[in-house]
Amino acid sequence: MTAPEDPRVGLLLSIADDELVMGHRHSEWTGWAPHIEEDLAFSSIAQDEIAHARLLYELAEPLTGRTPDEMALGRGPGEYRSSWLCERPNGDWGYSIARQFLYDTADAVRLEALTASSWTELGDLVKVMQMEERYHLDHGRAWFERLSAGPVTGRQRLADGLSASIGEAVALFEPLPDEEGLVADRILPRPTADLLSEWLGAIGEELEAASLDFVLERHASSSGEMVPTSSGEMEGEEEAFSAPGVARRDGRWVHEGGFSGAGGRFGRHSEDFLPLWEEMTGLFRAHPGARW
Amino acid sequence: MVRIGGRDDEMVTRLEGSEEELELAAWEALAGVHDPEIPPLSITDLGIVERVRLSDGAVDVDLLPTFAGCPALDVIREDVTAAIEAVLPGRTARVRFVYAPPWTSDRITPEGREALTRYGLTPPARGPSTPVIPLASLRRVEGAAACPFCGGLDTVLESAFGPTLCRSTHYCRACRNPFEAFKPKAAR
Repeated sequence: MTAPEDPRVGLLLSIADDELVMGHRHSEWTGWAPHIEEDLAFSSIAQDEIAHARLLYELAEPLTGRTPDEMALGRGPGEYRSSWLCERPNGDWGYSIARQFLYDTADAVRLEALTASSWTELGDLVKVMQMEERYHLDHGRAWFERLSAGPVTGRQRLADGLSASIGEAVALFEPLPDEEGLVADRILPRPTADLLSEWLGAIGEELEAASLDFVLERHASSSGEMVPTSSGEMEGEEEAFSAPGVARRDGRWVHEGGFSGAGGRFGRHSEDFLPLWEEMTGLFRAHPGARW
Repeated sequence: MVRIGGRDDEMVTRLEGSEEELELAAWEALAGVHDPEIPPLSITDLGIVERVRLSDGAVDVDLLPTFAGCPALDVIREDVTAAIEAVLPGRTARVRFVYAPPWTSDRITPEGREALTRYGLTPPARGPSTPVIPLASLRRVEGAAACPFCGGLDTVLESAFGPTLCRSTHYCRACRNPFEAFKPKAAR
């Protein structure tokens, strides 16, 4: 990559790598989801997400000098800027649905903000992505509503999934490298803290409507600290990565405090990333330059 | 005079013409290129041809991808190149995928919508999209996809996803057939 790295690359990769890694995880449901419609749903969402990653890698190509394939599969683990939420194994289907719901509602907030980007090529791509993402949003929300209203087992598994993912969903909004410059140039029209505030307010209302806001209360009483990392390019004693806490103020869920330490947006990943990276990039690394 | 293959395997002959005539020939050639996932539908009726521009030795074709992850795009690119170079010998076809304006399913022509129905795929609803909630209701809902077999509207959406990115899956309660629809793609 160019050095010093263009901050626009960090912005593009924060979305592209989320989409790629999320798509990779969703694709793991192909053939294993509870029923065939969900095989199709997760497989199709995966196909969309990976395609969105490619669009953004193409936009980044003049800045990185790397092709989309090289970006997707030819980087070292510490060069990825995906967030921890996307890296976690699928686990229970309730977790996967909770994560898909939280991820896509958060993704929708940042995409909407970027439609107003001063970087018009990015804004144009985002508008295309939004029209496809709406189906992901509808999918996540339909299952959220069905499971939250549903028999107690399904509701419990959804709630467990939400509890496990809510903190890392907040961390999707980790500030970007050189974010001030991106905001000043209106490439990123609104700061990530502002986007987090919008998403948290909206998701708080949805959770309250489903009487699932205890998930946020539970998160509020935790420290917000994330699981220590074991991959990424940073070595030695690193400050633990933690996301802001949440609280209900004047009838609205808000975040309090800021991030500390570095997470996915700085190439520092959860312990689940390295095994995912090894599998995702294995073929590419085993056969350099292969075409398919 | 050159003898060349034209649309639908009909043999046509063409003289060197004016630029306008050649551009028309290029559009005709594009009308002979079909979506490999929906064979009766030409790419011009699908509404993905945004611009054709002739210059010395080249023809630039801008295409709007339907869904970003559509695996048919590479095939379409090859077919467009072959079709253009067949009717305009001596010119190189340069195919580019562009994203502005975004393709929406409202760009499908009336002829394209007929071709979809003939193929057994319900054409997409027009205009701004509404949320799709699979099996949300077993009641008849406003805006339900019409069954391509019996025309009935007593249908349910089984999934917003299907065998390709651009299709959703449905069930007709009137003639009891499962069917697929071309998914609406539009701004909310």
